[in-house]
Parts: sequence; C-alpha cells; structure tokens
Amino acid sequence: MRPVAIITDFMANVKMWYRSKGTVFWAIAFPVLLMLLFGAIFQGQDDVTITLYVQDMDNTDTSEMFISSLEERLKIESIPDDVEFDGYISDNNIRAALVIPQGFENTVQSASMGSNDSLYIILSLDPTRESINGMIRGIVGGTLQGWNMDITGGRNVLIYGEESITAREFKFIDFFLPGVIGITVMTSSIYGTIFRNTKYKKWGILRKLSTTPFSRWEYLVSKMLFMTFVSFVSTFVIIIVGVVVWDIRVIINAYLFVIVTSAAFAFSGMGMLISRFVKEEETADSAGGAVTFPQMFLAGTFFPLEMMPAYLGQIARVLPLYYVNEGLRDAMIHGNNTGAMYNTAIIFTIAAVLFVLGALMTTWTE
Amino acid sequence: MKHVIEIRNLTKHYGDLIAVNDLSISIKKGEIFAFLGPNGAGKTTTVEICEGIRKPTSGSVHLFGEEFSGKSKSIRERIGVLPQEYRSFERLTVYETLKYYASFYQRNRNIDEIIALMDLNDKRNDLYMNLSGGLKQRVGVAMALVNDPDIVFLDEPTTGLDPRARRGVWKAIQKLKEEGKTIFLTTHYMEEAEHLADRVAIIHNGRIVAEGSTHELISRHGDGYTVKLHGCDTGKMGSFGWDVREVKDNSITLHVLKPGDITGILSKAIKDGKGFESMEVRRANLEEVFLNLTGETLEGGDAH
Ligand SMILES: Nc1ncnc2c1ncn2[C@@H]1O[C@H](COP(=O)(O)OP(=O)(O)OP(=O)(O)O)[C@@H](O)[C@H]1O
Ligand SMILES: [Mg+2]
Repeated sequence: MRPVAIITDFMANVKMWYRSKGTVFWAIAFPVLLMLLFGAIFQGQDDVTITLYVQDMDNTDTSEMFISSLEERLKIESIPDDVEFDGYISDNNIRAALVIPQGFENTVQSASMGSNDSLYIILSLDPTRESINGMIRGIVGGTLQGWNMDITGGRNVLIYGEESITAREFKFIDFFLPGVIGITVMTSSIYGTIFRNTKYKKWGILRKLSTTPFSRWEYLVSKMLFMTFVSFVSTFVIIIVGVVVWDIRVIINAYLFVIVTSAAFAFSGMGMLISRFVKEEETADSAGGAVTFPQMFLAGTFFPLEMMPAYLGQIARVLPLYYVNEGLRDAMIHGNNTGAMYNTAIIFTIAAVLFVLGALMTTWTE
Repeated sequence: MKHVIEIRNLTKHYGDLIAVNDLSISIKKGEIFAFLGPNGAGKTTTVEICEGIRKPTSGSVHLFGEEFSGKSKSIRERIGVLPQEYRSFERLTVYETLKYYASFYQRNRNIDEIIALMDLNDKRNDLYMNLSGGLKQRVGVAMALVNDPDIVFLDEPTTGLDPRARRGVWKAIQKLKEEGKTIFLTTHYMEEAEHLADRVAIIHNGRIVAEGSTHELISRHGDGYTVKLHGCDTGKMGSFGWDVREVKDNSITLHVLKPGDITGILSKAIKDGKGFESMEVRRANLEEVFLNLTGETLEGGDAH
C-alpha cells in the first residue's frame, strides 16, 4: 500500500469528475432537483385547493348556507340547476361533484322540529384520484356531521352517500399507463435526438452527409419517421402490458395516434434545439436531464396535478408533456373526446412549433 | 477542362484568427495533390471549404469549372469526401455502411468492387465498431468512392495509424490514382506526401509557402545532406561550428551542402570528438524543405 499513489489517483479522479460537467450534474444537481421537486409536491398536500362542483337543486337560503360552510375548506364551483348532472360532469371532465337535492331546506327544517325525515347527500368522485378523494370525503362528511349536530344534536338527518363519477372503476394504474407512454416517448425522443446529433457531429457524420446529395430535410424526415416508429413500438408494448398484466381497458382511437406522433415530433424538436447548444456528448446527458426530469415529475405523470400546490400546477401547463399525459388519459382511459380533442390540438400545435424551430436550428455545417 | 479544382484567393477568418490567408491553387485532373503542413496550418479549413462544408470569408472555389459553395447537387454527385477523424455508424457492417452512402447518389459504383479495391473482403460483414483503426480508415476511403467520384478529398487519411496500417491506406489511395481519380489529400506526414503525391503544397499559417513535385521542392528548397551521428559526445560535437539541426539524447543531426563535406566531419568527429557509434546520411527530404522554409519542424507543430 502506497498512500501517495492512492492519494494521487484519488485526486486525479476528483479533478476529472469535477471537469466532466455531466457527471457532476448527476451527482449533485439531480438529487437536489429531486429533493426540491418532491418537497414542493408533497408539501403542497397541506394547502392544496381542492375544487368541488355543486349543483344546488334546492336553491334556498339553507342550501346556500350549506354551500358556504363547505366553501370554508373547499373551492366551490357551481353547476347550473337546469343541466343534466351526469352529462355535465362528463362533458366538463369534473372529478368531484355534489348535488344538493330539492327539499333540502324542508328536510332540515322539519328535522329540527322533531320529524324523522332524512336525506341522502351524494358525493360523486373520480376513483383515480384516491388521495384527493380522501380529503374531499373528510371535508364533506365532516360538514354533514356538523350540520346534523346543529339540527338534531346528532341524528343522521343528512346522510352521506358516494358514487363513482364514471361507470367504470378506475385504479391508479389507469392513471399511470398514459403517463408511462408520455414519459417514454419524451425520454426516447429527447435523448435519442440529442445523443444522435452530438455523436454524429463529433464523428464527422453530419459533415460527411452534407457533402452528399442527401438533404437536411430528407434526413429530418427519415429521423422523424424513425422516432415515431420507436414511439409506437413503446406505446404498443406499454398497452399490451397494461391490458395483459393489469387488465386495463384501453380505448384505441385516432387521438392516440395523433398524440403519440405529435409527442414524438415535439420532443425530437426539443432535442434538436438542445443539441444546437450542446457541443459535447458528456453535456448532452445533463442537458437532457434538465428538460426531462422537471417534466416527468411536474406534468402529472406519477401524481395528479391536483395533489400539488397551485403554482406547480401553473408550471405544468407550460410543459408539453402535461398535454400529452392529459390527452392520452382522456383518449385512452376516460373516453372523454372533448378533452382528448382539446389536448390533441394543443400538443399538435406545440409539436409543429418545436419541430420547425428545431429543424431550422439544426445545421450540418458551420 | 484541365483544372478540376481551382482555389482563388481563399481567405478564412475565425474571429481574429486568420486560418487561411489569400490562398490560391489549381489541381489538375488525375493528379494526387497533397497539402502538407503541421497542426493548425489551415489544411482542414481549406479542404472543407472546397467540399462546401465551410463558408469562406472571401475568395472562391471552382470545381469542374463551376463555382461551388456546397449547394449544387450535381457537383455533390461527383465528389467523394473523407472528413478528418471520421467515425461511422457503429452498428452497421462495412457493406451496410457503403450501401447506406451509395443510396444517396444517382451514380453508383459496384460495392463489392469497392470492397475488393480497398482490400476489405474479409471484413465485409463486420460491424464498423469492431474494426481496427486502419480498417476504419480504409472503410472511410471506400465510403468516399460509392458514387464513383471524379474528385476524392481525403483529410489526414492516415493520422494515428501505425506504419503498417498506413501502408494499407496508401496502397488503396494509389489504386485510385491508377483509376484516374483526382485526389486532394492533406497530411502532416512528409513520407506520405513524398510517397503518394504528384504535387505537394506546403502550407504554413494559412499560406502556401512552396508548391511543386517532391523532387522540385527538394532541389529548390532542400539542398544538401543530413548527417546524423549516434552515440557521441554531443557537447563536444556541438562546439565544432557545424550546422547543427538537432541534438537529441546522445545523437546529433547536422546539415552539409556537399557530399564532400561529410569526410571532413567524420575525421574531425573521430580525431577531436571521441568518435561515435553509428551514422546515417541521407539526401534532404520534405522535412528539411519545411524547416528551411518555415524555420520550424513538421513534428514541432504536432500537438496530437
Ligand atoms: N471552427 C473553428 N473555429 C475557430 N477556429 C478554428 C475552427 N476551425 C479551425 N480553427 C482554427 O483555425 C486554424 C486552422 O485549423 P485547421 O483545422 O484548418 O488546421 P489543420 O491544418 O487542418 O490542422 P490539423 O492538422 O490539426 O487538422 C487552427 O488554428 C484552428 O485552431
Ligand atoms: Mg485538419
């Protein structure tokens, strides 16, 4: 054992490590980023604003009082009393709603005067959001209990009831599957493009190609065909596993194809923009990480946005992956065509912009 | 059309650095033309401007009598390029690589014929990543031939190769010459220029300092002989007032003008200088030409 040799070798490693920005990113910036992101996400648990939609069919002073007592702890949006409840919540992609039935005031008043009347208050919840449902359940149930205490000293006048918003039972995996497609297409397109571009630049392949009659646009088209192909292979595999192993019922329609294709274009475009500024292969890693990780955690892949503080939700809305995830969920799982169309339109537009910018910024020569 | 490549008053600036400085040359059809110069002389910059990869600050390049800036597809059809330090797709075989590049061109040369020409038959179905450095360079040259080009640009085709691999690449280049191709190659190995080129241009700091066949250059700028004495007392020998070119370990390199001067040196070294173990005498080569013209050695500039 020669301490000097060991120290020399150790110092050389520290030096090389420090000089390679990519590894330093993974060792330092990555955990810091994770801590900050997850910290922010879970800290938000305490002060999330949860929205509850309420359809007041009673329209009385008492029902209004009930709503204001809910409003102390929830954000209340109202559903007009002249629309059909089920249709409205599915059209508007509402995940938590409550109906105050007609006769609410009458029941409360007669119960307080000693009658035996009671009334079911039904809360409709989206089962894919179990963690949030728990909070809503607690608040609504607690409020009902408070009212029951006030009216009769404890008898269940207003009875809590619950039903699922959709006919189908959704599980977390239903929420997760579209997210897995989203992050897979994102990471393979962004990293694939960055690595290919930086490698080919360094190896002289791009310079070589520029001297052949093969044009930059032909090259881009073929690369996009390839990235789209890879994205569909992943999508297909994810769906197969979802269906076979987890028994997920997946809806396959045109939106799915448009969203996956757009995602491949959008993220390849992003990769092209990044590789324009990344010169070395080593930095490509950290640059890729810098754009993929925030999206992975903030765009509602692993947890619903509602679980996060509102400001993170705002950030999500500028991330392309958010629209991919939401669009895929609407199209494949919820069968919500309005939502799917809206998100498809957005991701399609983002894809067009990012791809064209990326393509214009990509140069083979100086 | 006698000159297939004509470079006129080419200048290239990178910020404040003048990489190529008002450089003009013409290269004849069927000629092997070598750019000889140390690292950073401006070889790649010049060649890549000719290939349309870089844009000149001023001046122009004409290929086949037509100004070329990289745009013209019909000219791209007729040139073949091996970029400096080129590396190909790792997971394609030799054959697949050549097929890949061939697909871009209208004019094609039979791939098996190219493989045979470059002596790559054994490696036809090997992945590029599994080839040795010399074989990779030969694939690089082969790749520049898929469109049966009229002009072949080879930027340092043998840098980093061992002498045997280098000879393999040289053999491949000579076969191209026999086929009547015009070859523009760059190198910082004077043996390579001497061995391959019909005409050599010595480039230094972005300017051509001399141009002509190896013979012409040596007789014009490389007069005399080099005498190298090994295993001698260099301190003592250095004090004899000879034209010393290099002192290394216990050997000393001298320059003399006439063969007759050599006898004087030998007798003085034996009589007054404690003798020597062995000696070498050779005519001046491009190395001396370069030294005489620039005051530097080709090696000296070699930073790799
Ligand atoms: N893209 C660039 N940006 C800035 N400077 C450059 C660029 N390319 C080359 N140079 C500089 O221009 C000069 C000439 O470079 P060039 O690559 O043409 O030399 P070379 O003769 O090919 O050298 P080598 O034998 O190392 O390949 C060098 O000083 C180099 O540092
Ligand atoms: Mg060079």
